[in-house]
Amino acid sequence: MMRQVILKHALLESEPSSAAEDLCDRGKSCKYERSPTCKTFFSCPQTGRSEECRGVIGAVSQRHTVHIKREVLESDLPSAVTLLKNLQEQVMAITAQVQSLTQKVQAGAYPTEKGLSFLEVKDQLLLMYLMDLTHLILDKASGGSLQGHDGVLRLVEIRTVLEKLRPLDQKLKYQIDKLVKTAVTGSLSENDPLRFKPHPSNMMSKLSSEDEEEDEVEDGQSEASGKKSVKGVSKKYVPPRLVPVHYDETEAEREKKRLERAKRRALSSSVIRELKEQYSDAPEEIRDARHPHVTHQSQEDQHRINYEESMMVRLSVSKREKGRRKRADVMSSQLHSLTHFSDISALTGGTSHLDEDQNPIKKRKKIPKKGRKKKGQ
Amino acid sequence: MNDTVTAQTRKFMTNRLLQRKQMLIDILHPRKATAPKTEIREKLAKMCKTTPDVISVFGFRIHFGGGKTTGFGMLYDSLDYAKKNELKHRLARHGLYEKEKTSRKVKEVRGIAKANVGAGKKPKE
Repeated sequence: MMRQVILKHALLESEPSSAAEDLCDRGKSCKYERSPTCKTFFSCPQTGRSEECRGVIGAVSQRHTVHIKREVLESDLPSAVTLLKNLQEQVMAITAQVQSLTQKVQAGAYPTEKGLSFLEVKDQLLLMYLMDLTHLILDKASGGSLQGHDGVLRLVEIRTVLEKLRPLDQKLKYQIDKLVKTAVTGSLSENDPLRFKPHPSNMMSKLSSEDEEEDEVEDGQSEASGKKSVKGVSKKYVPPRLVPVHYDETEAEREKKRLERAKRRALSSSVIRELKEQYSDAPEEIRDARHPHVTHQSQEDQHRINYEESMMVRLSVSKREKGRRKRADVMSSQLHSLTHFSDISALTGGTSHLDEDQNPIKKRKKIPKKGRKKKGQ
Repeated sequence: MNDTVTAQTRKFMTNRLLQRKQMLIDILHPRKATAPKTEIREKLAKMCKTTPDVISVFGFRIHFGGGKTTGFGMLYDSLDYAKKNELKHRLARHGLYEKEKTSRKVKEVRGIAKANVGAGKKPKE
């Protein structure tokens, strides 16, 4: 009974244009035929309960959806009005811009025959995308459906092509930036590595006399091979073996790098590690780990052995390698860690007494040259 | 205690491109020094049932502590292939190749004859 009252209330509030035949005869008493296809559930906006439509296909659901739609529309109305106003303003601004742009293009202010064809393709694709999009919006705004619209397929195609072009774009980015910069400033920038390429014209000699050949044989060894020139016109051109590389590192930077390395080594030394263990709250771990230098050396040895066995050659061992191997052997002995502490002078601010190969740094004494006259005599 | 010298092979590979079989050889010789290469060639020949003149071994290194040596061995299909593909200095060890001894000194040339000398080229005499 209550149900019937509520439903009638709902029905009365709805649009009066619906004909009486549309109504689901739920209002009447029990046992309606359950339509096998109509199984939609809907929630009544009055009661909030979900109810199953048991009547004619979509009849009550239509009623209720219309009801719900109306509520939604009412809430959205003011925001829609403001949005439409904004849209109008923006459309006017954009039309003005587009018109000026088309005038410029038609007047030939942007010639692209000598440009990158890749960028041209991108331009055209984007324009086509815009055209299709506006066509779709027009159709949709005038009430048509987008189901199976040809424009959708075209849009998808253009979109996939643009996606595929994107990694190419990334790769070309450096080149394009450089070209643009060169075009704007008129010459290559100072740090551009292209400035250091070899100039074959500087290498061809204009003279081909005997004296020059003599000099060349003598000086050839002392000259840097990068500047090798002076071959007669008929002689074969031998290109220089050096590839010019931009050398940036100064003495200060090298010193800094050395200090950094020393600091890192000091931080992983046994003294610092024990201090850390003392002051940290973590539980104490007892590991069967050897000194990192030792493990690194043994890994390198294994790598070398693998290479030798697979290539069937024997590699020569340099003095530095031999020294490292010997030091690793010494370090792996158990009693070594009792008496030898690593060098933490990098952290304490002093200078290290050992250089990279753990050889003691020798201080040079100034020895006065023979025959040097003393001052005042 | 009878200590004998044993040879084992590892990483055996047939190299069709150079018509040979190449392998790693492990020699076990407790309480002895490394066997000379000729002996190892004989042993390998017996193992592979060939004559020792198609076999060449090289690169023997003894492991720390002694007793074990590892080296490389090549076993050619025939003597002709061995002469063609093997490195010259290894053939010289077997007596199958003689290198001509050239002097590295340059004969000093003075005057006009110097023009006939190409720039940077040293005549071999």
